Amino acid sequence: MRGDSDEQLDALFRVYREACPTPEPGANFMPQLWHKIESSQTLGFTLRRFASAFVTAAVAASLALGVYMAMPRTAAPNPAYYSSYVEALAAANTIDTPDIVAPVRLDLGEN
Amino acid sequence: MLVDFELIKRAQAGDGAAFNEIVLVYRKRILGTITRLIARPEDVEDVAQEVFLRLYFSLDQLRTAEVFEPWLYRLTVNAAYDYLRKQRRRQEYRMSDLSEQQMLMADALAGGRVERDERDQKKIRESVDALLGVVSEADRILLMLKELEGLSLKELEKIYDIKENALKVRLFRARQRVLKAFGATAKGKEPARAG
Repeated sequence: MRGDSDEQLDALFRVYREACPTPEPGANFMPQLWHKIESSQTLGFTLRRFASAFVTAAVAASLALGVYMAMPRTAAPNPAYYSSYVEALAAANTIDTPDIVAPVRLDLGEN
Repeated sequence: MLVDFELIKRAQAGDGAAFNEIVLVYRKRILGTITRLIARPEDVEDVAQEVFLRLYFSLDQLRTAEVFEPWLYRLTVNAAYDYLRKQRRRQEYRMSDLSEQQMLMADALAGGRVERDERDQKKIRESVDALLGVVSEADRILLMLKELEGLSLKELEKIYDIKENALKVRLFRARQRVLKAFGATAKGKEPARAG
């Protein structure tokens, strides 16, 4: 059921419609629209180029990494591969290593 | 439909002149709809350009001629919806002088005795704008399309891609909320805004 309020609201919408006349498009409507279209196209083109360059760089980096990982290691062999366990241990922990032989300093601060 | 599908096909193929023609045919209608949806004449052209910008970049997705107009309306609704959401974030509507506006409208309704100049029209727009603040932007647009644009439920069904019954319920609830706010402002209370 429609009451007085409904009719008043309908009337209000009618008044509102009259208060919103359709504006005439401005002289710059079409030039501005084409400017926006061209700007968006330029932005899209730039983004596509950036994405394409990024993909190319990522593929190149992957290939380079793959080649590097596939190459046999020849330079500076690890002592663990050519000496006994004791020799490798001795090489890693020499007796004159300052970190091992230096006295422990206790910092007894005043706090 | 105001344009034939051949023209749309040409525009889809990248013919700028064809797209131009489509814009020239529809822009006045779109400007009118947006004016009523957003109630701010100063921003109408911007929103209309946004609609045609979206049309330009999505035209290749259109498959059949019958859906062109509902689809253009959908783009219009979406652009108006985005605009209203941004606006709502930016500012709070002034509701305090709504009763005064309603008196002005009552005068206007009483036989057009009041000469409405641009200032009065602005006040009416602001009042209705504030009144519609009690419903969400989506419901506001739906209500406007039904009440002001005079679109049928069938047409709205095509635009929103929602069943008619669901639309009816949504429209009814939105209208009830606006009616409640309308009643409240008539009594001098400030209606609660949609969150």
